[in-house]
Amino acid sequence: MALTIFALVLLIYVAVGAFIARYVKNSDDFYTMGGRGSTLLIVGTLAATYLSAATLLGIAGVSYAEGPLVIATLGSFGAWIGTLLAVVYVGRKMKALNCKTMPDFFDKRFNNKWVSIIAIVIMIVGLVGYGVIQFIGAGLVLAEITGINFKLLIVLFTVALIAFTAFGGMYGVVVTDTLMFFTMLAISVVIAPMIIGQAGFEQMKGLSETLPNYWTIGGTEDRSIGWSISQFLVWILFFTCMPALVSRVFPAKNDFVILKTAVIGVFFAPFMQLTVFIAAGGMQVLKPNITPADNAMIVGFMEFTTPAIAGVGLAALMASIMSTASTLFVLVGFALSRDLYERLFEKELNEKQSLTAARIGQVIVAVVICAIAIAQPSAIYWISIYAGSIFAVGWLPTIVASFEWKKMNSKAASISMVAGVASFILFGELIKAGIMTLPTGVDELMLALLVSIATLIIAALVTKPSSYELNYFTEMKSTGMAKITIQEFMKQPDGLQKIKKQYKQIITVSVLFTFISVIVWGYFFIKLGL
Amino acid sequence: MNVEVLILFLNATLVTAVSAIVVIAILRKQYLPVIRELEKKEDKEENVKDENKHIKSNI
Repeated sequence: MALTIFALVLLIYVAVGAFIARYVKNSDDFYTMGGRGSTLLIVGTLAATYLSAATLLGIAGVSYAEGPLVIATLGSFGAWIGTLLAVVYVGRKMKALNCKTMPDFFDKRFNNKWVSIIAIVIMIVGLVGYGVIQFIGAGLVLAEITGINFKLLIVLFTVALIAFTAFGGMYGVVVTDTLMFFTMLAISVVIAPMIIGQAGFEQMKGLSETLPNYWTIGGTEDRSIGWSISQFLVWILFFTCMPALVSRVFPAKNDFVILKTAVIGVFFAPFMQLTVFIAAGGMQVLKPNITPADNAMIVGFMEFTTPAIAGVGLAALMASIMSTASTLFVLVGFALSRDLYERLFEKELNEKQSLTAARIGQVIVAVVICAIAIAQPSAIYWISIYAGSIFAVGWLPTIVASFEWKKMNSKAASISMVAGVASFILFGELIKAGIMTLPTGVDELMLALLVSIATLIIAALVTKPSSYELNYFTEMKSTGMAKITIQEFMKQPDGLQKIKKQYKQIITVSVLFTFISVIVWGYFFIKLGL
Repeated sequence: MNVEVLILFLNATLVTAVSAIVVIAILRKQYLPVIRELEKKEDKEENVKDENKHIKSNI
């Protein structure tokens, strides 16, 4: 059965990718789906991004072994708030500035080659280090379930991914992500309740007796509150400027889509993650001692649901791997074709050449990542330790200062990004070697963030912004998504009525989802907390 | 009552509540004044049209 589902899922995505390719007529369609993204598509792609292979395997594994509160209470909370900031603060502003990729922003804001090069390197290293390890880890698990040779499995995945990234670009990724979102949603609304139902809330609560501290934030390992706070900081800072989330806003049709996504998409973040973590706790009742703990949810849907639902679970696991990998492929490919080749090397390309360059970029990235995943060089494991957090220490202070501070300039940006990343790796290596020790609750990320902010402030104060930077800052401050959307709507017949309709719709959506959230989480609290 | 479990589900609820508040605040700050202004403008245009009609009918 596993093999059939594997083949079927790959075929569906290849077919969808081939179908979407006909809608990609120019590079705008390829990079931002021509700004045609509806609320459903943007919520779908955003939600598919945060239920990654790491959530379904790694974090679910920690929840199973140490307790569902360990990462979810503060770490995941940071990720959820970070998602909100990525959409309404960073993504919305960059979309208003007509950015098609995140490095586009650095290019527009500073018009400086070095800033762009540093930003692109951080993005490629961060995405590859963060994504490839998930691709490898989840691929190994899937190879075990399906019995397919790991290398063949990675090649098959890559071929399927090329079908919708190289031909459909962001269009292909957004549409397939939305399909993946509905598959993954099955885990939260069907599989997780089935597992929780079989385990029973009382039995789950009773785990505290056999596993002390199971229902505490510290968990069975009795982790310090400093560790939990550090997790909160890592995830909030990382998610706020994570390209995989921020770039999801760029294809949105207008500001109303972004605002609806901010509410609905952010509601689905805890909904999709927390139900999985609680179900992982249920697995501790149903089947203790699963080794490795990362397989807890897979054992759950293979052994504690019906064969048909197990098939859906397997498809969802594949969806989580493909969604992570497609994001990685598409964003690194964009960095290669648009940010490096077209902009940095200043290649004057017509529409057709630009689209071809974008597609070639996708194929090159896919082949390179496939080779890395198969060869698994030790360097990739070293990079992965720092990959996720380098966006927080490298990009975030520069992005925030660029948005808000008139004195911000290219020198401050370059120094801050390099100092943040270099100090983060240096502190990390010194701590690992035992040369440096930090007080409880303080880690290398916090220190590196301080270094990044301090160098940024000092450099900005002792240098001056260029006239280009000052002009762009003024232009940026007078640009906003609300203004653009109102102008677009007012060009249409009955524009004001349409704006008023959207206004009322968003308020209704906001109230409705807050109400649903109170009901869902109130129910779980009554069952598990009282 | 397990306070730590309460914190978990409170956080999960809070994140949607905060996003709703932020979005409503954006709407009220960036859209409502423009909507009111455009409504006034439309009303004025309507009144001018009505007055013109009235004058024409009197003539």
